[in-house]
Amino acid sequence: MSFIHDPQFGDKMITLMAALVLVLQISMVGQRWLMTNIRIFALQSFLLAAIACTIAVFNHANHLYIAALLTLILKALVLPVILARLVERVGIPQEIEPLINVPLSILISGGLTLVGYVVAESFYHPEETSASAALGHNTLAIAIALFLIGFFTTLNRRKALTQVLGLLSMENGLFLAAISLMYGMPLVVELGIFFDVLLAVMVLGILVYRIGETFDSMDVSKLRRLRG
Amino acid sequence: MIVILAKSGLQLLLLLLVAPLVTGIIRTLKARLQTRRGPGILQPYRDLFKLLRKGMVIPDTASWIFSAAPYMVFVTATLVGLMIPMIATDAPLSLFGGVLAVIYLLALGRFFLALGGLDTGSSFGGLGSSREMTISAIAEPAMMLAIFTVALGANSTNLSEMARSAVSQSWRFLAPSQMLAFSGLFIVLIAETGRIPVDNPATHLELTMIHEAMILEYSGPYLALLEWGASIKQLVLMTLLVNTFFPFSLSPNWTVSGLGLGLLFYLLKLLLLACCIVLVETTNAKMRLFRVPELLAVAFILGALALISTFIF
Repeated sequence: MSFIHDPQFGDKMITLMAALVLVLQISMVGQRWLMTNIRIFALQSFLLAAIACTIAVFNHANHLYIAALLTLILKALVLPVILARLVERVGIPQEIEPLINVPLSILISGGLTLVGYVVAESFYHPEETSASAALGHNTLAIAIALFLIGFFTTLNRRKALTQVLGLLSMENGLFLAAISLMYGMPLVVELGIFFDVLLAVMVLGILVYRIGETFDSMDVSKLRRLRG
Repeated sequence: MIVILAKSGLQLLLLLLVAPLVTGIIRTLKARLQTRRGPGILQPYRDLFKLLRKGMVIPDTASWIFSAAPYMVFVTATLVGLMIPMIATDAPLSLFGGVLAVIYLLALGRFFLALGGLDTGSSFGGLGSSREMTISAIAEPAMMLAIFTVALGANSTNLSEMARSAVSQSWRFLAPSQMLAFSGLFIVLIAETGRIPVDNPATHLELTMIHEAMILEYSGPYLALLEWGASIKQLVLMTLLVNTFFPFSLSPNWTVSGLGLGLLFYLLKLLLLACCIVLVETTNAKMRLFRVPELLAVAFILGALALISTFIF
């Protein structure tokens, strides 16, 4: 098992998984079914946990194991289950109706990925040849792209629940940037973020449920009038 | 000269024999996954044999194009098959042309297939042809972008050169650009071979069919040629996918032991890819026709991102 200690192999694996995360993000934009979207998010979070784990193995950053475990439990298992149950309980139609049609949205997310690469380029110094610099360069671009596409998804969708999914994938982008650039934040900050996300989803879940009950729809564009 | 002929003969034999087998394996695996018994894996051979012995019905309205189309489809698919590396890194006809020749020979075959569908003047044929052309108009650029990504890495559009350079670089297939290009090309493969999210190869339901609509008027030996040509095209695209992205185990020379090992691994890779295709086919429902461009847009964007990321990394 000599390749376990080959840092080049580790870098390759991490960039590969980061690219897979990007592919999943783009397929989330191209997907029309709510449940599939939730499953894609779960898969994306699972890959993030795998990336964190790989970084922990190859760079001996032991506290990242905890971050990986938390990502696996919270984002890959608990959140998708909560969201899926919410979909079942509210009984909303499965099909997502984006504001901009799907082919154009996909083209826009391709453009946003380019923006991510251009922005990451300005952080890149070729004279710095250390392994972490090269790794950061590759994954930072993808992380920025994830963040931008997540933001775009949030804007592009009408229903509250799908906007939550966009928000969550934005958070995934931030997490990817944090673990690949500086091998994770201090544990306290990470814990805080995880519980923040969990809480946000719960609060948004209740909000979504209330919107669904009051308006018989999850379309946020109907939330125009104030009611006493 | 003799050497090239011998190599071509061997690869031709392999191409003609393996192509129906792959179709049969995919059908059987799919049936098993849907808890049906399904036909045996040799069924496509029996079908071809039966069709080749039967008589033909040619519509009165058909012109010479109707008879030319099956030969064109068959010949272009086979020619492309000789231009890509199958079990050894240098393909027998690699001097004949590179990636562009491969893509455009496939396009030529498709063009004649569409003409053949139009030629009889039946409404189904025209419908199938127009759908096929719509889909290929988007699938073709996506395919080009994905293959050019690999060609950039090898500094050559010659497929044998690409395979050779890929064999020498270890871990290269793990690069994100390769992975993006692979996913793009996989979607193109699904679309080009008429697999389920795009077209259903097992139905004659007029609302959904694409490939079957074009060959509806054909019968007997012509139908056999078209079916055989379609399965060869499928094998060619699958080979392109497995051998440009995972070229290890390709034999660097044409020795008996190297070829034997190359053949073994080649069949193994094909089997794995066939399993992936079967999984996709079984877990997905057929898409509405107007949704197909969305799927192909994803393939296009993946190809474009792959190409761009090779410049950046």
